[in-house]
Amino acid sequence: MTMAFMVIGLLGLIMINVPIAVALGAITVVAMVTTQGMWILPNVGLVMYDGATSFPLLAIPMFILAGAIMNATGISRRLIAFASALFGFIRGGLSMVSIGASLFFAEISGSAVADVAAMGSILIPAMKKKKYPRALAAAVTSSSATLAIIIPPSIPMILYAVMSDSSVVKLFVAGIVPGVLGGFGLMCMAYYFAKKYDLPTETAFDLPQLWATFKDAALAFILPLIILGGIFGGYVTATEGGGLAVLAALVLGAFVYRELDLRHLIDSMVEGGTQTAVVMLLVAASALVGVYLTEQQIPQKLAAGILALTDNRYAVLALLNLFFLAIGLFLHSAAAIILVVPVVMPLVNAVGIDPVHFGLIVTLNLGIGQQTPPVASVLITACSIAKANVWEVSKINVYFVAVLLVTLLLVTYVPAVPMTLVEFFYG
Amino acid sequence: METVARLRRGFERVMEVIVVLLMVALATLIVVAVIYRKMGDSFAWYDEVASIMLAWLTYYGAALAAAKRAHIGFEGIVEGVDRRLGVALVLIGEAVVIGFFAVLAWTGWTVLQVLAGDTLVSLTWVPVQVTQSVIPIGAVLFIVGQLLSLPETLRKIWAGEKHNAEIDLEELENVLDESEAELPQPGRAAGAEVRR
Repeated sequence: MTMAFMVIGLLGLIMINVPIAVALGAITVVAMVTTQGMWILPNVGLVMYDGATSFPLLAIPMFILAGAIMNATGISRRLIAFASALFGFIRGGLSMVSIGASLFFAEISGSAVADVAAMGSILIPAMKKKKYPRALAAAVTSSSATLAIIIPPSIPMILYAVMSDSSVVKLFVAGIVPGVLGGFGLMCMAYYFAKKYDLPTETAFDLPQLWATFKDAALAFILPLIILGGIFGGYVTATEGGGLAVLAALVLGAFVYRELDLRHLIDSMVEGGTQTAVVMLLVAASALVGVYLTEQQIPQKLAAGILALTDNRYAVLALLNLFFLAIGLFLHSAAAIILVVPVVMPLVNAVGIDPVHFGLIVTLNLGIGQQTPPVASVLITACSIAKANVWEVSKINVYFVAVLLVTLLLVTYVPAVPMTLVEFFYG
Repeated sequence: METVARLRRGFERVMEVIVVLLMVALATLIVVAVIYRKMGDSFAWYDEVASIMLAWLTYYGAALAAAKRAHIGFEGIVEGVDRRLGVALVLIGEAVVIGFFAVLAWTGWTVLQVLAGDTLVSLTWVPVQVTQSVIPIGAVLFIVGQLLSLPETLRKIWAGEKHNAEIDLEELENVLDESEAELPQPGRAAGAEVRR
């Protein structure tokens, strides 16, 4: 009964534009007071404080900040120059460059919106100049930005790891192969569209050129690789790796490239701090919900209910995938992870799905959710940059989303795709 | 109306300064702590203090996000319905938000009374009352940010303007103007620019 009230109340509050974090908190307070009485109230202050003090989640502001600094040092320009030397000779070169540069940028940034803003603001105008249909320009940039959240570092993965109590390092490693596969698939689709629209190549393949742009961009993606290596090897935690990434980005900007734009840096810090706070307020509110749900044993009851229908692992995975795809239409990935993961974990564990494998499924699935309107943060950013209509872009983007869906199926039903590297390093 | 807008900008500036200071302090603390640990001398208090700073960043940043209306929500319906209904729904929503943070401020304050005399585990000279003060203070600041941005929100609903949570279009225009300057051509290797 109380549960039904909570779900309806929550939906009602979200419908009238109460921030999701506040809606969660408010509904839980009401539920707590009605079932346990007024004496429970001081707990609200305590739990909302404890929920926000989390050492592993410190990795989120660190990686956001590192990405922002890298971007303030003109790193996206360098990565794009290198990607054009590498992929520019293929037909539809700029689409390839966009996907390739996204792959590199993904290794620095953990957020798809940051990726699409950094790549799109340079590449979409360039594509329009070369007479690419603007809907195609927006679709390619948007769908390839999704790679940023499955290739490490990844903010949704950090959140998932904390919510499901699993290893963020293993999740990071699991994302590498699907990320590269997805990138290759997107490139094939881009090639098909390049043929269809008869798009030009950019440059002839030129080895000295490739070397020159590589040298210029090298530090920018080798430093993050070293830091990721440190995280994978267990020398530093993900949070500390994030801190070192900030340091590396500053050194690179101030001493190597010497073009750190201070104004831009401060703006990015405000932006990054706000983004962190928005996510963390959700985390704190979900801690409050968590206390209540645990008390009422709701995740366990849900698991028992579904297990009574089927205990087939593949059926449960299909069910969870459909569920996440559906909520991805309406919720931001961070909100979806924070709300849903703690509730479904007992079910996932009961049917014997590896939490790391499941984490990759959730992350990729919600990455696709960022491409599907009405709530599609990445797609909408790309559309605004291209000044294109969301529906017009979606008509082309649906092909690229199909590639991502195939990758999702592969990741879901062929566990070897994400897990082989994990087994290799930590098996 | 003008005064509220000016107050809101002032409030945002102050919160922005706090957020930037916290971000810088956090990054510095983490980097210094890692370096010290690698040199064989770790700070016992580092994880506790860093986690507390994240809680501070959460609530001061959340108040800033309230003033900027940047919290994750779903504005489709209040923008879609008749504007009178829209305004009514927004007002109900605002009451819920303010009510929740009023409860949080009060419970946070109650907790502070209970915690009198307690100190951090790793730094015994820091009273827990200081670290936990962020809950009542942050909750009150959230209410202030929410109230200061309310007139603008109501105005937009009334005027039928769509809210775009993700990006500031004006800001984007600036970015685009700056990036009009061509795609970096592999031809003139970016290497030349580095030495500039």
